[in-house]
Amino acid sequence: MNWTVIAENLPLYAEGAKLTLFLAFASLAISFMLAVPLAFLRNSRVTAVRYTVLFYTLVFRGTPLLVQLFLVYFGLAQFELIRTSILWPWLSSPMVCVLLTFVLNTTAYTTEIFAGGLRHIPVGEIEAARAYGMSRRTQALRILIPAMLTRSLPLYGNEMIMMLHATSLASTVTLLETTGVARMITLTDYIQFEPYVTAAAIYLALTFVLVSGFQVVQRRWAGYLENRIG
Amino acid sequence: MKATLKTLFATAIMAAALTAAQAAEQIDIATDATFPPFEYIDSEGKLVGYDIELMEAICEAAALDCNIFNAAWDGMIPGLIDGKYDALISQLTVTEKRRQVIAFSDIYDRPIFRFVAKKGAAFDFTPEGLAGKTIAVQTGTPMDAYVTSHFPTASIKRYDTGSAPYLELTAGRADLHISYQAQIIHGFLKNDAGKDFELVGPQLTGADAEEFGEGVAIAINKKNAELVEKVNKGLAAIRENGKLDAINAKYFGE
Repeated sequence: MNWTVIAENLPLYAEGAKLTLFLAFASLAISFMLAVPLAFLRNSRVTAVRYTVLFYTLVFRGTPLLVQLFLVYFGLAQFELIRTSILWPWLSSPMVCVLLTFVLNTTAYTTEIFAGGLRHIPVGEIEAARAYGMSRRTQALRILIPAMLTRSLPLYGNEMIMMLHATSLASTVTLLETTGVARMITLTDYIQFEPYVTAAAIYLALTFVLVSGFQVVQRRWAGYLENRIG
Repeated sequence: MKATLKTLFATAIMAAALTAAQAAEQIDIATDATFPPFEYIDSEGKLVGYDIELMEAICEAAALDCNIFNAAWDGMIPGLIDGKYDALISQLTVTEKRRQVIAFSDIYDRPIFRFVAKKGAAFDFTPEGLAGKTIAVQTGTPMDAYVTSHFPTASIKRYDTGSAPYLELTAGRADLHISYQAQIIHGFLKNDAGKDFELVGPQLTGADAEEFGEGVAIAINKKNAELVEKVNKGLAAIRENGKLDAINAKYFGE
């Protein structure tokens, strides 16, 4: 065992953990904003709209995240048209490519989770809202969105954990997050167990914080659903 | 019927024991096949290249039963230390740092290292001149160590494979890449993808910077002195009988 190497590289791990957190929270925050309206469109009465959203979620849930990342980062760069376009300054940055891919991917899953939550709201709640004479906008803001989110919480919590762990793929396109730091140490100091077990401990700690936070949220906003279970 | 079953069972056990004994003698040799023309996977999915032919010739000369296969670069040296592999042939340069953890055969080549960039781009190869320039390298290679210590103000991008830096160069994300001169010429510049690029800067060797090491050799587990000796004998034999010259001529002869 060679823990001195790990001790020497702790500042690098701290930087890596910061980047992991940034990537996870930035993609989750942006995807949340996108997934809420998309969940409504996914349940739209207009067939074309419903299927367009379904097509998007199917494509991004039906292909591996690593393949999506390589397509965006290496694949797009192959086209002269893209390299000379005004988008290139952004698309040439690994950070932009990673965030774009992560957002597109996790939004697809989150949209389906929220859309499922929306479909499972008891008819009675919606009828009550109508009976109060609420406008469609008020219905959505006061009844549908809160009910959809609280019902989706357990599944959405899983998606957040998956997203946190998926950030490890960013290291394949030069971003030095937690896994990237571990891999760099294996390549420069020829040890494997110590760097990866340190990375695993960091992910476990971050997941623990995430899960604890989630329990607070669950109790605060979804507590009213609890007596229905069991 | 019972007797036949018994015989069958006994034969099966004997066969298994035999294969196990044979497998124990087989030498497992890993290579990172992302480095044409030294080691790469051809269009038929076969492992080919200079190092592969060299290793096969050595194994033949030393009467070793070798199994050469492709493995990921990031696990290669740790895998050799842990005994997962018996040897590595992957244009590995002999450095003091590596000597502490693994053994090497005799050196079989002394490579020249070189930068590659877009045609017409001019660079000043001093720490100030390369400040802010993006240099793509394969992580954990002597080239990585060299640019890290000599050009601290450059932006160094590190990749797991030997081929990804070329993708970045052609995409315009990297200004420079540094590798083995022969690999740049034969693995990149001679291809269609490399037609707009050229070698730049000075020819570098182990004499210019210690990071480039003493030369390239076959890496062998430190505990296996016997294999080091056998490989060295094989290497001497193919040097003697002209096989090494033939391989050199095949790959790098003009």
